[in-house]
Amino acid sequence: MMWGGLVLGVAVYVLFAIVPMIGNVIISFTDYTALPGAAVHNLGFSNYTSMFSTEAPGFEPAIVATVVFVVAVTLGQNILALLFAHKLKGSGKFAAAGRLLVFLPIALGVTVIGLIWILIFNSQEGPMASFFGLFGVHSAFFGADNWAMPLVILVQIWQNVGFSTLIFIGGLRAIDPALYEAAAMDGVGAWQRLRRITFPLLAPSVTVNVMLAVVGAFTTYNLIYVLTDGQYGTQTLGMLSYNVAFGSFDSNLGYGAAVSVVLFVITLVVALPMLALLRRRERGLLG
Amino acid sequence: MRRPRLVSGISVGVLITLLFLLPVLYVVMMAFETPSHFLNSPMTPGSPDVSNFGNAWNSADLGPELLNTVLYSVVAAALAVGLGLLIAFPIARRLLRGHSLLFTFVFVGLFLPLSIIPMYAEARILGLFNNRIGYILLHITMAGIPGLPLAVVVLTASLASVPLELDEAAWMEGASYLAYLGRVIVPLTRPALLIGFLYAMLGVWNDIIGPAVLLADPSLEPVTKGIYTFYGSNLSQYTLLAAGVVIVSLPVVLLFIASQRQINRATLAGGVKG
Repeated sequence: MMWGGLVLGVAVYVLFAIVPMIGNVIISFTDYTALPGAAVHNLGFSNYTSMFSTEAPGFEPAIVATVVFVVAVTLGQNILALLFAHKLKGSGKFAAAGRLLVFLPIALGVTVIGLIWILIFNSQEGPMASFFGLFGVHSAFFGADNWAMPLVILVQIWQNVGFSTLIFIGGLRAIDPALYEAAAMDGVGAWQRLRRITFPLLAPSVTVNVMLAVVGAFTTYNLIYVLTDGQYGTQTLGMLSYNVAFGSFDSNLGYGAAVSVVLFVITLVVALPMLALLRRRERGLLG
Repeated sequence: MRRPRLVSGISVGVLITLLFLLPVLYVVMMAFETPSHFLNSPMTPGSPDVSNFGNAWNSADLGPELLNTVLYSVVAAALAVGLGLLIAFPIARRLLRGHSLLFTFVFVGLFLPLSIIPMYAEARILGLFNNRIGYILLHITMAGIPGLPLAVVVLTASLASVPLELDEAAWMEGASYLAYLGRVIVPLTRPALLIGFLYAMLGVWNDIIGPAVLLADPSLEPVTKGIYTFYGSNLSQYTLLAAGVVIVSLPVVLLFIASQRQINRATLAGGVKG
């Protein structure tokens, strides 16, 4: 009975998590399309080589968009979360209400979040159109080249900052308050306490949060799908992979899979050394 | 010393109110506006009007879509947690030789980016495309947070605190494995089960890429796809869209507030362990 249950559980995991992972690589070497019944051919590496050729526009802009998105989201999300965690770590009513508010977007989900911000930034009657109108600024916001990417970054941070905040709060609460009391008794100033106690002891939470933000920003595109569908300079690699596979004009699943394999490799190449670096930093700080 | 801290505390409070409370309140306000009042003065509330809710409900077909969403998310999350327990118990009890290897094998599932493209291909090949059962099966591991690996991770940790003597007592009494899991283990690991279930459910409930790719028949659509399609085809009916957004998010928000304490505690614990 127990072995049967174990085998069943692992079989489901393999079938719906491991097989797709391998399948994605296999599909990336073919001309598989969404048209049922169409013959599938082995293309070798041509999906990969064409990515870097001029035949497939959109790859280089997607690399740029991905880098901008990942850097801005990782920095913004962690700095804001650190600030929030510092103020919301207490057990008072205000802190609890604040935690509830910053975590709320997790429950709302991408579709609702996207539509909320589309309503706020709608170009005709929204509050932001009125606000910027006061300064004579008129824009289509999510439909404008110079606005779309910064706004998408802001909404992505808005969506995920609550989770990072909670992890930082966990890290802050784990620090022994006696350390601060002893330091205060010795006349150590607030800045020095932050630098010598909080910063080093928070290092493990920083590692977790930075890694979550980097990997998340590299791979997710569902929010971009809702907000702009990758238009107006917001087509990251994840969005590009989706759009060439299922967008309105293309149905090139092979090429889309190749893009997602490249995205996966880039994520690993960035994330693994970063993880090693952050771990080493932890050891250095914690002595 | 005291004053600057108070000032910075208040300014963070104002920042959170501006960024997190106002946008949500504004959309709720919009939902209660008549379209004509909203057109004339989008910034100020008029006399509350509830007709948007009925109109959105009918024209976006939200009723059947909400039923689909509840079915998909509850069943997929229950399967994720149930299968998660079946995997976690032998691992936590070290009943097989490669238990830590198996744990790592499932644990990496939390970080592997699942591309939707092979999920689509698999759905086509296995006959899981465009039907309810297929959609649910594919969502056991899919969506924002992969339900099954997460359930295995939290349950393995939680099972460590269930004393081995209970296993032995049940063994002596000759209880069947599943009855033992159901009667003894489930009540004792309830917080972990709840967290696993909630996260898996939220992931399925909020998924938008899955319904866009894995379903074709409008009658099978969950509510996220429904409201998104409604937005695409009624671009200027902002008050209706706002009412739809409120209807769609209300169930999860209520559930979220009701279970806030557990979510907080579990996430905080994860942060401490790092």
